[in-house]
Amino acid sequence: MNIDEIIEALKEKGLEARVQARMAGVKNKVERKTLWVDVERERLKEVVEYLIEISEEFPHFSVISPVDVGDDVEVNYHFSVGYGSYMGEIPITFKVTIPKSDLWVPTLTDIIPGTIFSEREIIEMMGIDVKGLEDKRHLFLTENFPDDVYPWRRDETAPKETNKLYEGWKE
Amino acid sequence: MKYTVPIGPIHPALKEPIAINCTVSGEEITDVDVIASQNHRGIEWIGMNRDNPIQTIYVAERICGICNFCHPACLAMAVEEIAEIEVPDRAQYIRVIQSELERIHSHLLWAGVAAHELGFDSLLHYTWKIREKVMDTLEFVNGNRVTKAIMMYGGVRRDIKDEHIPKIREMIKYYQDLFDKVAKLFLEDKTIKMRTRNIGILTKEDAFKLQAVGPTVRASGVKKDVRQDAPYYAYPDFEVKAMTPDMLTGEVVGDTYDRIVVRLLEVKQSVEIIEQALDELPPGEILSEEKIPKLIARIKKAEGEAIGRHEAPRGEDIHYVKLKSGFENLYAWKVRAPTYSNIMAWKPMLMHHQIADIPIVAASIDPCLSCTNRAVVLGDEEKMLTAEDLHKLSVKKTKEMMK
Repeated sequence: MNIDEIIEALKEKGLEARVQARMAGVKNKVERKTLWVDVERERLKEVVEYLIEISEEFPHFSVISPVDVGDDVEVNYHFSVGYGSYMGEIPITFKVTIPKSDLWVPTLTDIIPGTIFSEREIIEMMGIDVKGLEDKRHLFLTENFPDDVYPWRRDETAPKETNKLYEGWKE
Repeated sequence: MKYTVPIGPIHPALKEPIAINCTVSGEEITDVDVIASQNHRGIEWIGMNRDNPIQTIYVAERICGICNFCHPACLAMAVEEIAEIEVPDRAQYIRVIQSELERIHSHLLWAGVAAHELGFDSLLHYTWKIREKVMDTLEFVNGNRVTKAIMMYGGVRRDIKDEHIPKIREMIKYYQDLFDKVAKLFLEDKTIKMRTRNIGILTKEDAFKLQAVGPTVRASGVKKDVRQDAPYYAYPDFEVKAMTPDMLTGEVVGDTYDRIVVRLLEVKQSVEIIEQALDELPPGEILSEEKIPKLIARIKKAEGEAIGRHEAPRGEDIHYVKLKSGFENLYAWKVRAPTYSNIMAWKPMLMHHQIADIPIVAASIDPCLSCTNRAVVLGDEEKMLTAEDLHKLSVKKTKEMMK
């Protein structure tokens, strides 16, 4: 499945893919492309299931990277499909934007078990609730880490006291 | 009767802090729980809060001592894509050479550790002796064995000069001559075969579902390698092929033995890539923008997001970067090291094996926990320690020791 077919397949589901490209190679110049797709939270699970259905091999899930953008949080799910052949792989990122007043995403562990670490990580790092996830223990932070401090936030819940630990820190 | 055997947080077999709680029934492992939160350094948070993105390169380099080129490589790839910074041809080649040198030393380090986990210490010493050759080459070319500070947005900081090339070629010859010997030592030895064949099997299906990467997934027969699937830098020129164990042994089992095979083949492949890169090394500049303030201003103006993916020795390394116009540093930075994905595969690998197999199976994915745990410092009763407190504590400790 090439990139145009994937864009077409996503279009059938009413999803618009943004293509980002970058050249690589010196003698043998090739264009590396990545796809970025905005997905509503309610449709995320359906879209990921669709991706599993249309891709030849099981899609590779890399990680979830959430970003605090003020009133909202963007949750990026990085996938890649079509690996295993020369220039065959296409990275796809599903971007789910959720308001800070209602921070939750559905769990994907029932369809892709490998998402468990990332989901546990976004709970502790960003304060996003993952609905349907059974194991909500801390992953990287210690058990006694304070509940209302989220290291990846850019608002008042970001860690403040620990700032002083780093030399040259400016208020 | 069921018991839980804790391997870690600090265990002689694992070298780095992580806890694997194994539930056992007799000698048989019946459940596995991995607890990663043993040493979180908050690297991503530090990186997002430095003064400028150039400083973050050096933070990225310190994510892992072994992959000290791979992490800045991913970061630079993402930032260059967003800010549209060009990279000169020569720099692209030097980046490939540096990556492959890193792969050789990482895989040889791993081979030594694997031999040690099997209790085969003479092989550990032998492997680490031959690893010194690539370490010496790295030092000769870069001035340092690890944390070499080579990466810069838009190129590399140090050139590979004419006087370096004979030394690198000498290293290539050294490893080419040694390959058969090392392969024989690792693959034909009866003890190693007994301890690794059919031990710690990861099936292709589990590998897909648990999102394993790198040599771990390739040993299960999945031809997944970023250098082949989505080549970056100068890699399209080399047409890298993902190594799977059937290329040497004719079959894929997906066990610990196959993971040794894959890494051995990759060392050979890396040596070949370096040789080709040296033959075709283009002349020219190594940096597209030498003035650092100009570079910083350019990144500050850029807006957008990108992912940088690099095939690190342990597997696919991915960094997500978001830049915001007018914002001093990286607005968001997420690091995913290969071990993060691979430790999830410990459970199916360890299930129904014996306690004695835990060290070698755990080591077979080449875990790098400094990459994965990115310091939260908490005192008694949830009190956070400041730099001043830590200083006082260390002075107190020194005084105690001097008594």
